[in-house]
Amino acid sequence: MNTKPWKHPLGQAAIVVVLAYLLFEWGIWLLPPLFGVASAPVPATVVLQYMGTVVVGVLIWVSDSEERWKQFKAPIHRVMVDPRQKVLRTALMVTIPLLVAFMTFDRVRPTVSAPAALRSVHPAPPGQIDFRGETMVLNGLENPLRHEGDLEAHYEEGKRIYVQNCMPCHGDALDGQGHFASAFNPAPLSFQDPGTIVQLTESFVFWRIAKGGPGLPREATPWDSAMPAWEDLLTAEEIWQVTIYLYEQTGWEPRTWEEEGAEGEEH
Amino acid sequence: MRARAMVPGFVVAAAVTCAVSAPLAAQEENALGREVYDRWCASCHGYEGLGDGYAATWMLPRPRDFTQALYQIRTTPSGQLPTDDDIMRVINEGMPGTTMPGWEEELSLEERLALVDYLKSFSRFFAAGEAPEPMTFSSPTRATEEALAEGREVYELIECNRCHGADGRGDGTSSPTLVDDTGMPIYSVDLTENWYFNGGGTVEDIYQRLRTGLDGTPMPSFTDLIDAGVITDEQLWNLSHYVRSLAPEDPPGITEVIRAGLVEDAPLPEGVDDPLWESAEAFYIPMGGQIIESPRWFVPQVAGLWVRALHDGGELAVHVSWSDHSESPDSAWAGFQAQVLSAVGPEEGDMEPGPRPDGLYLQFPMEIPEGMDKPYFLMGDPLEPVYLWHWESTAGAAQEADARGLGTMAPQGDAGQSLASEAAFSAGRWAVMFRRALETGDPGDLQFRVGEPVPVGFAAWDGDNGESGSRGSISSWHYIFLQEPTPATVVVAPLIATLLTAGLGVLVVARAQRREREGAEGPDEGDA
Repeated sequence: MNTKPWKHPLGQAAIVVVLAYLLFEWGIWLLPPLFGVASAPVPATVVLQYMGTVVVGVLIWVSDSEERWKQFKAPIHRVMVDPRQKVLRTALMVTIPLLVAFMTFDRVRPTVSAPAALRSVHPAPPGQIDFRGETMVLNGLENPLRHEGDLEAHYEEGKRIYVQNCMPCHGDALDGQGHFASAFNPAPLSFQDPGTIVQLTESFVFWRIAKGGPGLPREATPWDSAMPAWEDLLTAEEIWQVTIYLYEQTGWEPRTWEEEGAEGEEH
Repeated sequence: MRARAMVPGFVVAAAVTCAVSAPLAAQEENALGREVYDRWCASCHGYEGLGDGYAATWMLPRPRDFTQALYQIRTTPSGQLPTDDDIMRVINEGMPGTTMPGWEEELSLEERLALVDYLKSFSRFFAAGEAPEPMTFSSPTRATEEALAEGREVYELIECNRCHGADGRGDGTSSPTLVDDTGMPIYSVDLTENWYFNGGGTVEDIYQRLRTGLDGTPMPSFTDLIDAGVITDEQLWNLSHYVRSLAPEDPPGITEVIRAGLVEDAPLPEGVDDPLWESAEAFYIPMGGQIIESPRWFVPQVAGLWVRALHDGGELAVHVSWSDHSESPDSAWAGFQAQVLSAVGPEEGDMEPGPRPDGLYLQFPMEIPEGMDKPYFLMGDPLEPVYLWHWESTAGAAQEADARGLGTMAPQGDAGQSLASEAAFSAGRWAVMFRRALETGDPGDLQFRVGEPVPVGFAAWDGDNGESGSRGSISSWHYIFLQEPTPATVVVAPLIATLLTAGLGVLVVARAQRREREGAEGPDEGDA
């Protein structure tokens, strides 16, 4: 009768449900960053959906064999009928309705939140842009300065441009933690983050710098971004130089057009 | 270590002549320190450590000149060199309130240790003498009511108020005369924002800065006052508790939505000092310099706004307050303003010194948007204009205005004005209140609706800091949400859910017990 909880079907079911909850609520969010992979909390509605699936799965498993089903039910039944379990029974019959009351209250109470902004962080770039009156085809475009002049000098010039212009928001450490960063939402990008420039070609980065917030497509909410359109302040050469600085300083490699092509074919 | 191993005769001679920039032999040995410094530090502090990097003229205060060996944040007595740990602390945590970030996460311990040695090698003072000894600090007193009251007295007694102002907002009478050791204008810190204290905002940090002073700045050490018997060490601790108490318990969080509470049983506030404001929830809006469009402004003084809002279903009242050193234009600050304007350099165009007002605007879309759409956050654009509440310290009442991009703000005509306002400046703090009917019937105004988030943005100007036009501080879009009356479902729904659950539980248990008593079939049937 006194089996270990993890050998009893009810105990096993409870353990599976609790572990699944911990995984959905915290695990998916907190574990991947330990291995250097970016993650985010799972939305509550999705957690609810997953938990529903888990509970159904557990019920199918416990009711699958007659013997296990009996075992599973026995402790529940005992709590409901056994005179010696009166305290536990009463406690459960009070706490469960109270829990339900609290959960209902949590759902219906008026909450104040900003409208959900389904914002695209890396929108598709245009095939070509107009840069100071000249057409630039972005598709297949490489950073010309990688084969022109002294890379060291371009890096140094990029550094000057960066600290004089980009640093107040994107930070000295290129981590998006500049001293003005907290004033702006969406927050300035961290170039150290493995989800940003390492995923992009240099031509994409050129487009983002040149056209800034106002040049974003609608799905990326151009009206919210504090990123200036740098074509008004920097020359094409300066933008390419600061792009070199971003990659050199973070140690990331830009994505190349060969990879991009290969990716495209796979999908 | 390496630095001290050098030829003593050379070191002494060098320390006496105090030559400025020639890198020492120690730098040649410390390859890692040089690499880290050149890679991450030189862009502000300069390759020769002179504090003249690429970004230096964009910054106030300027980056540290390491050749002077003058360090603000130390545990050593005033006028002495910092310990290695002192230098390491600033590298790790940065200097809040300046452009210097903390590097603890970015650089490895080995890199940071090499960097400490490398920074010291810029000045011959470190190699010349004994290793600096930290002061011994006493343990804190308890922050009792009496301690705080005495701290307040000490604050007046040793004249903290002359620079930091009566309420600690940096508006003291000496404040406009302050310059640092490099001749640059320097603001006395606003003690109500301890998260911007250069050396940290804890009671211990404050006490240590009072004991050591912030060398290179006008902030002195008060150790000599203790030595002279003018004040006791305990009093200095009490002063530290008092200074700490001027700032909130925790630094404010950033909120996207400003809740405007519903006032049902009292009239909406008539003025900035209405006691109702004290019970209203306060939201902190961080501000950044307008560095989006030229001419840009890298040294804004309004770092954040506190916003409170209330409505009664018919009108909306918004209360905005922030720290400001002066009621601009204040002639006492004219010289300071001129220094700021000459210090920020010519890159963004020259600006003539002159009287400029303080200012504030709240910006809204012309109507509550459907979906995600908003006007451009920086005063809209020609296609999507914004609607503004604009206040200036010299212009009397606030005005409703429109804008179609930065620098295009134009007040609505007199007939369209439906905004009431009041402003007051007191002890280094501006408080400005706006009040307007939710519905004005004017098609040029935004019409507020209860229960719908309305985008709102902010901008502020400190005239005596040289700010006007595009030179000021701005925020992103936030939202203001006018709270709805509490719907009955909030009470009714949980009640019904509880009754249903409890009833169901009682039924199931009663049924199981009845079957158990009837007994024949056993417990395993039925109640699934």
